[in-house]
Amino acid sequence: MSPLAAFLYQSLLGKRDQSGIVSLLAIALSFTGGGLTWFTIWNNAPVTVQADWFTIGETSFKVGILLNNLSTLMLFLVPTVALPVHVYSRAYMKGDPGIHRYWMYLSLFCFAMLGLVIMDSLLLMYVFWELVGFASYLLIGFWFTRETAIQANKKAFLVNRIGDLGFLIGLAIVFTQFKTLNLVDLFGDNGLLYQSAIVDGLWVSPVNSLPQIWFTLGGLAFFLAAMAKSAQFPLHVWLPDAMEGPTSVSSLIHAATMVAAGVFLLATVFPLFSESALLFIAIIGTITAASAAYFALGQYDIKRILAFSTISQLGFMMVGIGIGTWDAALFHLTTHAFFKCLLFLSAGAVIHEMAHLKTHSQLDFDPQDLRNMGGLRHYMPKTFVLMSIASLALAGFPLTSGFLSKDSIVISSFEWALSKGNLYLIIPLSLIIVSILTAFYIGRLLFKAFFGEFRLTNQLHGKLHDHPLHEAPKTMLMPMFVLGVFCLFPLFSFNPFSYHDSWLMDGLLSDEYAFAPSHIAHLIIPAILFLGSVIGWIIGWKWYVQHRYPFNPANPALKVSLNQGYINQFYDVVFVKGTLKLAQFCYWFDRHVVDAFVSLIQSIVLSISQLSVWIDKYIIDGFVNTVASVTYWTGHQVRLVQNGKIQTALYSVFLIVLLGLIYLLFF
Amino acid sequence: MITLTHFLVVSACIFSIGLYTVLSKKNAIMILVGIELMINAAILNFVAFGKYDKVSYSGQIFALFAIVLAAAAVAVGLAIVLNVYRHYNTINPDEVNQLKDK
Repeated sequence: MSPLAAFLYQSLLGKRDQSGIVSLLAIALSFTGGGLTWFTIWNNAPVTVQADWFTIGETSFKVGILLNNLSTLMLFLVPTVALPVHVYSRAYMKGDPGIHRYWMYLSLFCFAMLGLVIMDSLLLMYVFWELVGFASYLLIGFWFTRETAIQANKKAFLVNRIGDLGFLIGLAIVFTQFKTLNLVDLFGDNGLLYQSAIVDGLWVSPVNSLPQIWFTLGGLAFFLAAMAKSAQFPLHVWLPDAMEGPTSVSSLIHAATMVAAGVFLLATVFPLFSESALLFIAIIGTITAASAAYFALGQYDIKRILAFSTISQLGFMMVGIGIGTWDAALFHLTTHAFFKCLLFLSAGAVIHEMAHLKTHSQLDFDPQDLRNMGGLRHYMPKTFVLMSIASLALAGFPLTSGFLSKDSIVISSFEWALSKGNLYLIIPLSLIIVSILTAFYIGRLLFKAFFGEFRLTNQLHGKLHDHPLHEAPKTMLMPMFVLGVFCLFPLFSFNPFSYHDSWLMDGLLSDEYAFAPSHIAHLIIPAILFLGSVIGWIIGWKWYVQHRYPFNPANPALKVSLNQGYINQFYDVVFVKGTLKLAQFCYWFDRHVVDAFVSLIQSIVLSISQLSVWIDKYIIDGFVNTVASVTYWTGHQVRLVQNGKIQTALYSVFLIVLLGLIYLLFF
Repeated sequence: MITLTHFLVVSACIFSIGLYTVLSKKNAIMILVGIELMINAAILNFVAFGKYDKVSYSGQIFALFAIVLAAAAVAVGLAIVLNVYRHYNTINPDEVNQLKDK
């Protein structure tokens, strides 16, 4: 609630308070509150609090809070990542003219995210789900005077909307089947979902029954929601463009928390997934991980590489859910939150310094472009160390937290594939290749940015001595340091090599997995990953530090990677242009067919009226006129008798007498 | 023998000729002539039927009166024609059509 208060405070005060102290205090309050809650609830009985909201007919909806292991873990995780970001933002966004809006939106986001994780009803979760998307929209378009930022936030919102549609469909299916949206009623220990079963091709629940296909469709609908929010292929296109927002925003929202909301949702509704839905999730997750890793290889914007890395890791998490080990997925979510946030914050520090250099030297270069950097470890040693720790965690190097979580997913996927059949081995093999690629591209980032010579030295003409690049300010370094500590293994498990000892996974899902563990896999796979990463780094060193790059920089595979597989262009042609063409067609149809139809009716009515005018004028009036003229003519003819000539009169007398004679004689 | 019918036929013929003359001549004097002819035909008729009144010979007597009346009528007719001529300067009855219905 305290971020909500901070949001209201900041929105009311506006420009008068630009320090962000209130937001910071609010998130610190959430941090302590979340921590206390977590300590009390973890591995204890869940707590729920409810109040009536509204009633329709016989169904009443309640609003309430559910605090179980999963939600309190997220409730503690979000402020733990948000608090360093708030502190960091004070230095990063200093001097920005819109900073009061920044604090406002950031608090709104924190409120929405915290609300999302503790709600006990799917309907309320949906409300906060949309609110999180909205806050993301506001923050991506924070520098709204930039055209690219506006396009990006529009794109993010539209793609998210597709996911919201999936959420709605899922809500409808669940409500139809179970007549309730309450999480405890559905998924609790004696939940309705556990009392339902598939019987004779029908999905039967205690209150309703539907054909079996709806069970799969319900799960897939929620997965669609997660696909959009957590940037799965093919709805991942908004995340690289979302890097238009400030780096601190990218670190909080698009690395650690909001994109994790999708994974959180899937973990919450996990019993709703059928076998086919889970397999679909795993396949999509693998495709996402692989394609994003490929795209990351060719990018040269720091934040884009990290964005694709996020998409790739989210793919890992989805695979974790798809194979049934949602606790491993959430474990990876937690460790990823810390090291990805740290990666973004370090990248932000680098960009901050490069931007300073740009304003001081008055050159025109892109501060985020890797090709302008190099040798930065001499100027920013602490940033370099922290970024390296985070990179090692991302690559899954032993002794880091990332090693534990990534291995948990890869090894479990291998065991799962073994239990299913040999064709399923494609998934763990792909994950292994992606992990090696991950190590490679993050190594590439480090080598190009921090090693070698600073590439702009020639262009600066010795101005480097006047305005040298320096280390990031303390306000930025302290939060990064805190996050760096969390990237190492001791926070998560006392045994750096075995994830089964992790308290986090135990707390979430204590049952055994459906597939048998394989001890060989536990040894071989980490070894393969470690060796692969090291070989990748050696190759990267050769190519990027010693400049022995063997490929032609313009080769087509790199072009495809840089252009993100041309997916954006495809969407533009098919959907954007398609919609525009449809709109044009509708306009044409309206003008030429509908309006033509109306004017056709109009002309028919007009001609009918003209016809009736003609009939009236010539036929009806004509009839009357004819009668009149006949009468007149007759009269006129008769009148001819009266011509004033006496002989005519005499003649007519004679005629009448003759007629009378004939009458008398013959009749 | 000459029967009554011969007289009646002749009388009818003269009457018809007189009627035709009245109706078709374009000279007022000729109309008078026609009138005279019609009267004379009627007189002839009287005389023809007078054969059946051997007591008072009323047919023939009336015929004498009729001849006088015919003369008087023609005199008046001529006076009218003279006046008409004086006014209209013509004796063609077709041209005296002031009473025409305009």
